Amino acid sequence: MVVFILVSTFVILFVLGVPIAFSLGLSTLATMLFTMDFTPAVTTIAQRMAGGINSFALLAIPLFILSGLLMAQGGIARRVIDFSKAVIGSLPGGLAFVNVVSCMLFGAISGSAVAATSAIGGFMIPEMNKAGYDKNFNAAITATSATTGMLIPPSNILIVYAVASGGVSIAALFVAGYLPGILVGLSLMGVAAVYAKRHNFPAGERVPFNVLVRCTVAAIPSLFLIVLVIGGILAGIFTATEAGAIAVLYALALSMFVYRQLSLADLRQILLKSAQTTAIVMFLIGTSMAMSWLLAYENIPTIVANTLINLSDNPFVILLLINLVLLSVGIFMDMTPAVLIFTPIFLPVAVELGMSPLHFGIMMVLNLCIGLCTPPVGSILFVGCAIAKTSISQIVRPMIPMYVAMFLALLVVTYVPELSEFLPRFFGLMD
Amino acid sequence: MKKITNLLDAVLKNTLIVLMAGLVFAVSWQVVSRYIFTSPSSWTEEVARFLLIWVGVLGAAYAFRTGVHLGLDVLPKKLSGVSAQILKLFILLMVIIFSVAVLVIGGGNLVVLTWELKQYSAVLGLPIAYVYSIIPVAGLLICLYALAAAMGEELTAPEDSAQPGS
Repeated sequence: MVVFILVSTFVILFVLGVPIAFSLGLSTLATMLFTMDFTPAVTTIAQRMAGGINSFALLAIPLFILSGLLMAQGGIARRVIDFSKAVIGSLPGGLAFVNVVSCMLFGAISGSAVAATSAIGGFMIPEMNKAGYDKNFNAAITATSATTGMLIPPSNILIVYAVASGGVSIAALFVAGYLPGILVGLSLMGVAAVYAKRHNFPAGERVPFNVLVRCTVAAIPSLFLIVLVIGGILAGIFTATEAGAIAVLYALALSMFVYRQLSLADLRQILLKSAQTTAIVMFLIGTSMAMSWLLAYENIPTIVANTLINLSDNPFVILLLINLVLLSVGIFMDMTPAVLIFTPIFLPVAVELGMSPLHFGIMMVLNLCIGLCTPPVGSILFVGCAIAKTSISQIVRPMIPMYVAMFLALLVVTYVPELSEFLPRFFGLMD
Repeated sequence: MKKITNLLDAVLKNTLIVLMAGLVFAVSWQVVSRYIFTSPSSWTEEVARFLLIWVGVLGAAYAFRTGVHLGLDVLPKKLSGVSAQILKLFILLMVIIFSVAVLVIGGGNLVVLTWELKQYSAVLGLPIAYVYSIIPVAGLLICLYALAAAMGEELTAPEDSAQPGS
């Protein structure tokens, strides 16, 4: 009954167009009013919202958002693309590969799939159009490969998962994301290779060695951010949150003194923009936390766990079921609330099946990445389509093989724990 | 109405810029003080967490004003004329109900409760009520912006030059 009220009010409000954060909060309130008086209900929600945001780990999010915006300003996209081109541009269908690799690198640096789509897509889509690639394919490959930045660290959604799971180490999650993120990138390159072969795209010219060196040197200051942040966290020099501050200072120094492309007015705009983006995420975290608290209060996680385990005693089947539920959730819901609401529900089941919380988190984020590039919700699709001057309905067809590739990667990540756990073990971050 | 919202926009923007800069400073200071002065400061973590609440809640009002909260806009885009107008008013009404009930009343109650219970923060001894006081303020701002939107003001940013891009 409780679940029915909660889900139905949420779905109705959401479909009508009420912003997700408000839909989450209102459906939580409506459900609580059935068992509670008005004043304690609203006070509890307000308290859960503030308490949910009040976390030192979450502080890394505004810092990575800010450093991402700073990095996105200073012509870094162009340098990353030139570097990728020099390295892999000479392969047949090279431009598509360059697009995927640039999105992976830029997604990692900027921490935003939307920023990666607009920055890399802004250069690569017109260039690929000119080279004869289909514009719908171009928009599709940019949007899908931009999501790999969610897995390749630093990644804000992994920080959200660390908080939701109640104690998985952010450092361990960060290194765990590398291999699965690269696997998704490689699967998408596989799709691009088949596409390029079918359309007989010529191999690009091999670049002379001195150009390769020049492009690499030009890209080093940008790529060094990743080394600094991840290296510092792995070496135990600073926490993820402090690494965020280091990333901001590094990006600030880079754009002010090296690239000299940042005025004081720009800085004000960037601070405002990052406060705005932070608020969208934090407000969602607040209302999701309130809903998650209500679910726990009503004992929903235990009920779901018992139902799932009674349904089948085969771990293989249960994990597939969880993935299918998450996939359908991801089609409609943004990643942040999905992680915060479904982690407490599914994580205990996964742990019961012998899965590590680390492995579950990577699986969940990869799963929700697929939802990130499916209509009707999915800002990266809209950005990609706007750049390629096409429409969502047009790019669905070239998307299909990419969905298949991502889904296969998801199955591999789900059933091969080593892929997520090898690096954290190697660095001594899990036992 | 337009004059009031314009003034509020300016105040809100500048406050958010200052809060965000303060947040960056607090965490950066923590790293610097630990590695350069080798005496980790204890207030930075608390200040940064409180600033995050302020940026998150107050920024939510700005995000509402600029129409960037995530949501499904399939239906609002499909409708036109009177039905679009009715849907828009319904959405604004829902936002107002949430803001009044949870942010203004619930948040206000939280401020009163923590004040009466004399809750102070662990390091700085700051009344927790100060931290929570931003919740009802943001709630009132969202209501005001929703009313302005109901009266025809657009929920978009007038200028947005910091778009992440090339």
